[in-house]
Amino acid sequence: MIIQAIFIVMTLCTLGGAVGVVSSRNLFHSALYLILSFFGVAGYYVLLSAGFLAVIQLMVYIGAIAILILFAIMFSRESAMNSAKESQANRQRWLGLPVAMGLFISLIAVIIPVNWPIQQTAPTTDMVRDLGVAFLTSYLIPFEVVSVLLSVALIGAVMLAREENPPVKETK
Amino acid sequence: MSGLYLPKEYLAILLFIVLGVGFGVVTLWIGQFFRMKRPYFEKLVAYESGNPPTDEPRMRFSVKFYLIAILFIVFDVEAIYLYSWALVYDKLGMFALVEMFIFIALLLVGYFYGWKKGALQWEK
Amino acid sequence: MPIIIPTLDFAALIPILAIITTGLVVLLLDIYVEDKAVLGYVSLIGLLATAIACFGLLTQTVAPTFQNMLVSDGYSLVLDLIFVVTATLSIMIALSYLPARDMQSGEYYALLLFATSGMMLMGAATDLIVVFLGLEIMSIALYVLAAFNRRQLGSGEAGLKYFVLGAFASAFFLYGVALTYGATGSTNLQTIAMWFSANPAYAHNPIAMVGLALLLIGFAFKIAAVPFQWWTPDVYHGAPTSVTAFMSVGAKAAGFAALVRLLLVSFGAIPDWRWVISWLAVLTMTGGNIVALAQKDVKRMLAYSSIAHAGYILVGVVPGTPDGVKGILFYLMSYAFMNIGAFAVIALLEQRDQIGSSIESYMGLSSRKPLLALMMLFFMFSLTGIPPFIGFWGKWYVFWAAVKGGASWLAIVGMINSVISAFYYLSVVVQMYMRSPTEPSELEFAPLSLPVTLTIALAGAVTLLLGLWPTPLIKLTALGIFG
Repeated sequence: MIIQAIFIVMTLCTLGGAVGVVSSRNLFHSALYLILSFFGVAGYYVLLSAGFLAVIQLMVYIGAIAILILFAIMFSRESAMNSAKESQANRQRWLGLPVAMGLFISLIAVIIPVNWPIQQTAPTTDMVRDLGVAFLTSYLIPFEVVSVLLSVALIGAVMLAREENPPVKETK
Repeated sequence: MSGLYLPKEYLAILLFIVLGVGFGVVTLWIGQFFRMKRPYFEKLVAYESGNPPTDEPRMRFSVKFYLIAILFIVFDVEAIYLYSWALVYDKLGMFALVEMFIFIALLLVGYFYGWKKGALQWEK
Repeated sequence: MPIIIPTLDFAALIPILAIITTGLVVLLLDIYVEDKAVLGYVSLIGLLATAIACFGLLTQTVAPTFQNMLVSDGYSLVLDLIFVVTATLSIMIALSYLPARDMQSGEYYALLLFATSGMMLMGAATDLIVVFLGLEIMSIALYVLAAFNRRQLGSGEAGLKYFVLGAFASAFFLYGVALTYGATGSTNLQTIAMWFSANPAYAHNPIAMVGLALLLIGFAFKIAAVPFQWWTPDVYHGAPTSVTAFMSVGAKAAGFAALVRLLLVSFGAIPDWRWVISWLAVLTMTGGNIVALAQKDVKRMLAYSSIAHAGYILVGVVPGTPDGVKGILFYLMSYAFMNIGAFAVIALLEQRDQIGSSIESYMGLSSRKPLLALMMLFFMFSLTGIPPFIGFWGKWYVFWAAVKGGASWLAIVGMINSVISAFYYLSVVVQMYMRSPTEPSELEFAPLSLPVTLTIALAGAVTLLLGLWPTPLIKLTALGIFG
């Protein structure tokens, strides 16, 4: 019973937050709604007994990515923060609506009737340790490649966010 | 929803969230019955440790913050990998050490590059 | 609990490791070296070493695999060579183009090399997780490269559009991976195939089908197939020309690399996707060609025509036979030479702020720069598919595979589309050879600098010579057959 209640609260957080993100007229508020939505997802991870993922969700998504988004809004043009009247919709929304609904309905139509295969084994007790073993043995390549990915992102960010233009020749 | 269950360890966290949110909401809600409400200009000004505010709070932030935040994310993610690695490190020994060394070395090159390119420098 | 340390076969990693190492070296050198052109030459040396390593590995009889995550079989090695050719030609263009635009910097070469390593990962991956990581490494590097010209708004727009839509497509891809995993219990391409053969009753498992559909959407975006092509013209047009050359070939080739392996290895037993790919091919060829007809700007015209080329290559995917794979590899290799060659000509003629890529700038080029005009003629003929140029053979093998695989109607649609494409490709030739030049004051050509001239000469020579004598390339692509 209490599980159901938590599940419903988490769903309200996730979906309500998501609706807030796309409907809020203030970009800053959208970012705050996003945090709510991230929080709801973290709750799902707990309910699925994936506690470590929940911690990652909190640390990376709420603790870092959401903050990054807030920064990005704060250094963009000032009107983005202040304007209370700017609607997010544009004239393509009536085109977007049927497409999004179509995708939603077809996904629902597929997912609802399916008999999902359910694992009979108990969930792993020491998830973090298993994860560590997996990273270092069978998922070695993805693990190392992630660091390349992170480096590329780092270089790209440094490159794009540098304040002045790349050094121009001083001659002339 | 038969697949869902809440491990006992999380009950404390649940309690913490409920009490934490509840305390804030309830005190504010009760407080509004007792407190006086006489707003005037000085009261409505943003509170800056008693000093009169000098600037609009909604100024543009420097893009430097963004770079710092990106650096933070990168090493935040790295910390997560480090954590799960640290738990099994003793079982895999040298092998795990080398693997992690490669992982960190790759990131360090990126970090070193950003450092030398002045991404960490606040003023030029 | 004992943990078994896996056996590692680093041979499978050699090409990728070579590229990543070169990228890191370039990045570190960038801090200390003042003359950034040196970094371009260092990159070229690294690419050469990679190519040599690929040829070395191609002679091996047993394909080394790395923990069922990566394989370095003939297919991935031939693709690696395609990526190396693409990166090499693009870096040679950049060596002229970047200093002329005042954008010379070391990050450019490092990011381009990292993007190449991502493409190689996609070609070699036998696990969807590795495919995704390769895709992201490639894409993130390309987003930044597209926005590389910070003095020009169009470039920033290109980077932003590519990023927003690319991130969206990545989400679709990831959702597809998740559903496929949910249905089959694995992300490994081989294991997915085994699951399908072990559970024939579930061959039309709706979750797997939707998973595949979402994966296809992700790929269709990366290869710019209609109706997922909307980003292409603006991104290709706005990005610096040397970047456009690189991503129009490299990103497409990488997308096809992973798509073909996924479809043939994992979903080979379920032929339903053939219909989807067929119609995607028809839409892509026709859509790209018809819109390209209306373009007045050569760079934009090539952007739309690159959509059409994705359609021709999709024709080769449909039969799902070794012939089709061979045709695709041949087509991609030939496309690398002719398309980058054409972009090199544009890079040479283009003036500041995208002026000079309009079709009028090509009026009477033959009388002013006869050799350059001749090379452009080669590329245009080759892109149309006129013999004896290499583009003809690419189309020939792809369409022939479709005919043999029982999809003759697709080959016919492809041929009709080639005829349509002749209109816009040849109109460039007409401008160059049959119109008198515009006022010389309007167009001042930047002095020809050596690397880009070499690129054009090299690409032009290959386009003609391999067209006249395609046997070496046929033999090479035959090594890449699987399926």
